[in-house]
Amino acid sequence: MQTLNAKNLTYSYSKKTQPAISKVSLEIKPGTLTALVGPNGAGKSTLLRLMQGQGAPDKGEITIDGEKLLKVRNKVALMPQRSSMNWKFPITVERLVALGQIKKSRFRKDSPFQIKELISNPKTWINKCCEVEAAMQRVGISNLAKRRLDSLSGGQQQRALLAKTLMSPSKFFLLDEPCSALDPPARDEFLKIIRQIADAGMAVFISSHDWGSSLNAYDKVVVLDKTVIAIGTPKEVQNKLDDICCLKEKNLCDCD
Amino acid sequence: MSFFYSNWWLLPLIITIFTGILCPAMGTVLITHKRLLQVNLISHCVLPGLALALALGVHPSIGGVISGLTGAIVAESLTNKKSENYEAVMNTILAGMLGLGVLIIPILGIRIDLEAVLFGDLLTANFGDLIRTLIAFLMFTCLITFGYEKIIYVGLDQEGASASGINVSILNLALSFTTALVIVSSMSAVGVILVIALLSTPTLLGVRKAPSLRIAMIRSSSYGLLISIIGFTISMIFNLSPGPAISVICVISLIFIKGENDN
Repeated sequence: MQTLNAKNLTYSYSKKTQPAISKVSLEIKPGTLTALVGPNGAGKSTLLRLMQGQGAPDKGEITIDGEKLLKVRNKVALMPQRSSMNWKFPITVERLVALGQIKKSRFRKDSPFQIKELISNPKTWINKCCEVEAAMQRVGISNLAKRRLDSLSGGQQQRALLAKTLMSPSKFFLLDEPCSALDPPARDEFLKIIRQIADAGMAVFISSHDWGSSLNAYDKVVVLDKTVIAIGTPKEVQNKLDDICCLKEKNLCDCD
Repeated sequence: MSFFYSNWWLLPLIITIFTGILCPAMGTVLITHKRLLQVNLISHCVLPGLALALALGVHPSIGGVISGLTGAIVAESLTNKKSENYEAVMNTILAGMLGLGVLIIPILGIRIDLEAVLFGDLLTANFGDLIRTLIAFLMFTCLITFGYEKIIYVGLDQEGASASGINVSILNLALSFTTALVIVSSMSAVGVILVIALLSTPTLLGVRKAPSLRIAMIRSSSYGLLISIIGFTISMIFNLSPGPAISVICVISLIFIKGENDN
């Protein structure tokens, strides 16, 4: 079984500043749904970017089955934060999802749905169309395929972005605060979808601001505040948090 | 050739048509990429290059493109869109480069019809202007043909595009270069300052509800062509300068956008 291992990761954005994360170690296994929680500025997005191979840590290393991450970057896919997307861009949902097929290769020549590919290799072209349809069905947005992205609700947009991320041939999916702008029903719906993805054998690692009982939806919880403060099942982490004063100060736990 | 001399209005009309199609198409890419401020910057940055090129005996268009591109590169190296100082830095460079252009013209002792450069002088257009417009048209067509998917991805999610192996810096540089080329090519039609209207107004009309960038470009170009021809015709009838006439038509067409938004 493939496992993603992060060992003693330390990363600073510049030499003058404090490390964004320090001595972070964790392990992610396929078939698990893991939550990464922590206050603003805890280094969650930094950790996700490093785990996706965007930049190298100052210290430590990330491996997948012993192989260095930079050699197997295509095994990890990142769904970015809402704020990094240009939601007003004129594009339909199915076209957005198809963009997920763009491979992580410097020498990539192919791109989704080119006419020349339809002529030269219609079977591959049709397969690509089927993959897009399958990804949309998986997150329940097939009926929105022709809609423009900016005409969707926040929850639908997040599901479209998830479908695009799922188009990648990766086994490890890193989701950067996917529920941040969602109301509770939309968030529950989203968590239901990613639970199905994890149950299908993928590793799903989500950074989140959720706390309390909502964490019971996850198999494993990692609490980060520059470094890993607690790690384990939701129950184990809740028990550990009684001893963690810094999180209480930041109003992150409901253990009082 | 003599046909063009006897029909003096034909060459300006052809340039108007190409500019009316090209500028809005380019503007669509730039507006969807949120790079319109950069267009303003480049358009103001071409003047020192034009002056220097004339002084050195080089074709002014080459100097203009280099100068516009240099301004864009300097701006990108000093700031980025996420910075809170972005607009201030961009506007400082914009004003500084225009000022530099105005300063060096008398220092170098060259003669430039500043009014024609800044606001266009379509009726004195020559074949050189047409060729310049066609080169910009060709460059833009190449960019769209070979980089369409990448342009979409970068416009939608710059970080994701970078993570997928797309060289975002090179693509942005290609966009800046093409923008500089389009601005310089439109010099005779609307001038390097008024071109901003033709780059943005038809795009505002065309990009609404367009399901794809391609359709948005086609719609914007259609509106741009219509606006340009109306402006050109009015300037012919009333003996006005075409560049400012086209810009005024652009402003009037904003009423349609407001009217539709109200509905």
